[in-house]
Amino acid sequence: MSEKVLQKANWSSFVQALADARELWFPVKDGPIYKFAPYSGDVDAGLEEYAYSSVPPKAVVLPQTETMFLYQVGDKEISLPEEKKEKVVLGARPCDARAMDIVDRVFQWDEDDPYYLENRNKTAVIGLACNEPFVNCFCTSLDGSPGSTQGLDVLMVDLGDKYYLRSVTDKGSRILGDAESALEDASGEGSQAEEIIKEAEGKIKRSIDTEGIREKLEEGWEAPLWDEVSRACLGCGACTFLCPTCHCFDIQDEVEGFDGRRCRMWDSCMFGEYTLHTSGHNPRPSRKERTRNRISHKYRYYVEKFDKIACVGCGRCITSCPVNIDILDILSRVKEEL
Amino acid sequence: MSNKENPYIPHMAKVEDTWYETHGERAIKTFRVVFEDEEVKESWEHLPGQCAMIGVLGVGESMISISSSPTEGKFLRFSVMRMGKVTQALHQLEPGDSMTVRGPYGNNFPLEEWKGKKILTIGGGIGQAPLRPIVEYVRANINDYQDLTVIYGARTTNDLCFKQELEDLRECQEVSSCHLSIDIEEEGWSHFVGFVPTLLMEVNPSPENTIAITCGPPIMIKFVLENLKKLGFEDEQIYTTLENRMKCGIGKCGRCNAGPLYVCKDGPVFNYATLKQVPEAFA
Amino acid sequence: MVDLETIRKKAKEIVSREDVKHLIGWRKGTFGYRVTPYWVEAPEDAEELVYSPLCNTNLATYLTLAEKLPLPKGQEPDRRKTALLVRGCDSRAVVQLLTERGVDREQVVLLGLPCRGVVDLRKLKDSYPEDNEVADAEWKEDKIVLNVSGEKKEIPREEVLDDHCLVCRYPNPVEADETLGEKVEPWAEESHPGVEELENASFDKRWDFWEKEFERCIRCYACRNACPMCYCEDCILDRLNPTWIYRSNNYSENTAFHIARAFHLVGRCVSCGACERVCPAGIPLGKINQKLVKEVREKYEFEPGTDPEGVPFQASYNPQDQEDFIL
Repeated sequence: MSEKVLQKANWSSFVQALADARELWFPVKDGPIYKFAPYSGDVDAGLEEYAYSSVPPKAVVLPQTETMFLYQVGDKEISLPEEKKEKVVLGARPCDARAMDIVDRVFQWDEDDPYYLENRNKTAVIGLACNEPFVNCFCTSLDGSPGSTQGLDVLMVDLGDKYYLRSVTDKGSRILGDAESALEDASGEGSQAEEIIKEAEGKIKRSIDTEGIREKLEEGWEAPLWDEVSRACLGCGACTFLCPTCHCFDIQDEVEGFDGRRCRMWDSCMFGEYTLHTSGHNPRPSRKERTRNRISHKYRYYVEKFDKIACVGCGRCITSCPVNIDILDILSRVKEEL
Repeated sequence: MSNKENPYIPHMAKVEDTWYETHGERAIKTFRVVFEDEEVKESWEHLPGQCAMIGVLGVGESMISISSSPTEGKFLRFSVMRMGKVTQALHQLEPGDSMTVRGPYGNNFPLEEWKGKKILTIGGGIGQAPLRPIVEYVRANINDYQDLTVIYGARTTNDLCFKQELEDLRECQEVSSCHLSIDIEEEGWSHFVGFVPTLLMEVNPSPENTIAITCGPPIMIKFVLENLKKLGFEDEQIYTTLENRMKCGIGKCGRCNAGPLYVCKDGPVFNYATLKQVPEAFA
Repeated sequence: MVDLETIRKKAKEIVSREDVKHLIGWRKGTFGYRVTPYWVEAPEDAEELVYSPLCNTNLATYLTLAEKLPLPKGQEPDRRKTALLVRGCDSRAVVQLLTERGVDREQVVLLGLPCRGVVDLRKLKDSYPEDNEVADAEWKEDKIVLNVSGEKKEIPREEVLDDHCLVCRYPNPVEADETLGEKVEPWAEESHPGVEELENASFDKRWDFWEKEFERCIRCYACRNACPMCYCEDCILDRLNPTWIYRSNNYSENTAFHIARAFHLVGRCVSCGACERVCPAGIPLGKINQKLVKEVREKYEFEPGTDPEGVPFQASYNPQDQEDFIL
């Protein structure tokens, strides 16, 4: 573990050093939203304004669209896409890194998923602790914290005129080594960082006691609650696409001329088409079943398999829902009514 | 054999023979395919009940149950109903063409566990496809089993799959009985007329040391299950298979779950006692 | 305009009717400026109804969103009516649906409400960030009054109103069984915000503009689903056989998606702005639709959703129709 300090005055050289060593992904403002994108040389784009990315950094390791293999139509030869580059993600929020840890288990479970794992193994994550939690944050209800290091390689804390950086993994130490010239050794900033994190924890206003939810979800399968909480749902994919732990995908063949590729892309259990059989039968025929599945997957099915809730409390699904379907509202009703 | 390094990369398999089981808009065509790569051909292992992702490059893949038993030889058989984009493309394939195959996926019928028992299969329509490998497997290992009874029906004679094979089964000594039915009376049909669940009651099999496996349209399964209970079968003696839309086949892509069960990994073969606990399984 | 008590009282009356299943309105949300669509089933539920500049969903979309599932054997379908709170734009959506036979007038009860425009949360949040506290808002002449934790803030409505509302010419319902309160005097001349600016830009500039916008699209289809006019049971975006638009997320496919949607809204878009307000990527979808609204207006003098007895734009033909743009 190494502890370093980055003076904000040295920000540009730090970013440049990271970008020289690896492909650097950075939260960039795109229209009104933030999303992670490859660093374009615009070093002025600091993290001062950035609160959180609307599109979570899962998009770096599980891109919305990913080529699995290529071929020529009519041919039998299959070729693999180019090897992935070593990457570093700078400025991921701790909850988003914890989410990667949750997704990792799915892609390592039973058979390995080579695309995800190659990406994930080649990606280092520098997290930025949250000094000011956001309106719908509830990470502390899910064993998280504004300064959680789970899934991170380096934790970075904003101390005003400087950042405190602590490596959490060997990979993290190597990353800090790459940018050594821009960094100074820490001297006591660690405790200052701890205080900031503790203070931030106290500012989180939303919460849920997850005790017993798994069992209630099982028992209350047919409860009228599901009709009520799904009624306003528009059936769009905002909650799932923007969720850092949602990882479901579709696989499609896409052909232009004779150039074919098989690719996968994010899919959403909130879409009717997701489970639609070719016969026209749909085992989850309405938004009621789909909403129940979304909640049950996170708080029951995943838990049964991996002994952990597949939600990190980032609040994106709440904030991004156009009709204010609020997972905390649903969960507290599950607790009270089922 | 699943591709160890990348389970999404399919193997090429050459279509050796094809024939139509049924005709019409939703025709069922059977393909007998052999892996083009010798190594894959030799190392491929599957058991009755398992599925494979088969497809055509440029179109896509579908999860189809393997309708041949490993006891039949180093080939695979798939019986495919023409339904959507992929199955339409598969139906275009003729002997000499290639399809993509990856797998095998899912669990299998516990035929080892069932040794010494009487085996009863109850199928309807295309539902005979996953049952056929049981029949073939048990026939090949008939000394390990006490008895084999096949019940199979379809709407009309035109909708019956594996017609000749099933007719031949009736003549076959190791199968103690094979009962066929169609829903509506037809000229020249000498077997049962009526629904499969009714035929099951006619046959009246004893639940004693018997395993019943049923596969077919949901409505048929519903009444077969009811009738099996009437005949005295315990839930644990009854097996069925589920199908849901699938993309990856390896428990990653999400969509095939029925409640907490992933059909691609926990299934497609399920014991009724397990399924009864999962309301979404019968959705 | 109209006070909340009047709305609640009338809503109670409506849901008490035997021929009415429920009334769809809005209630307070779970945090900040959010309100959520709300189904009043029983008279006492009406107490939860709210009506404010924060009510930013077009409720007409729920008339066609409900899945038509097969009923269990022997169960009779519920033929009772759905009641709906409608403002100018919601009522225009209903009218458009009526002319398309997407909705049966006999099956809906429309309770009209005058409206002075809804806020665009994106504009609001920049200067007045959202908090956990559930906020209230009301119209007060030319201002929006925000009430956050008991503290009232008066904001000129130009600052926070949705662009579509700033130029709205239909602040009162065009069709309703009954309209409550006093009519609102329309405040705007016909204009299409954001369209002229783009029209005057060079081809390359326009291309660059939309390329950047569409590249950001995550294809969540919130715009389509929030749109009361997008009610095809078999949408070409979902279709696989044949696949019209690939599911890959890239500029090209995303553009194809948005163009396809825009084309399907020609002469149908009622300018409610719901698509743009729900977009989690903040794509200015209104600009595309407004351009088409403008074209249809100029070339055919047609304005969708204004005449319940009218014929849908695509189903109408006039020998005098302009043809000068046909190549």
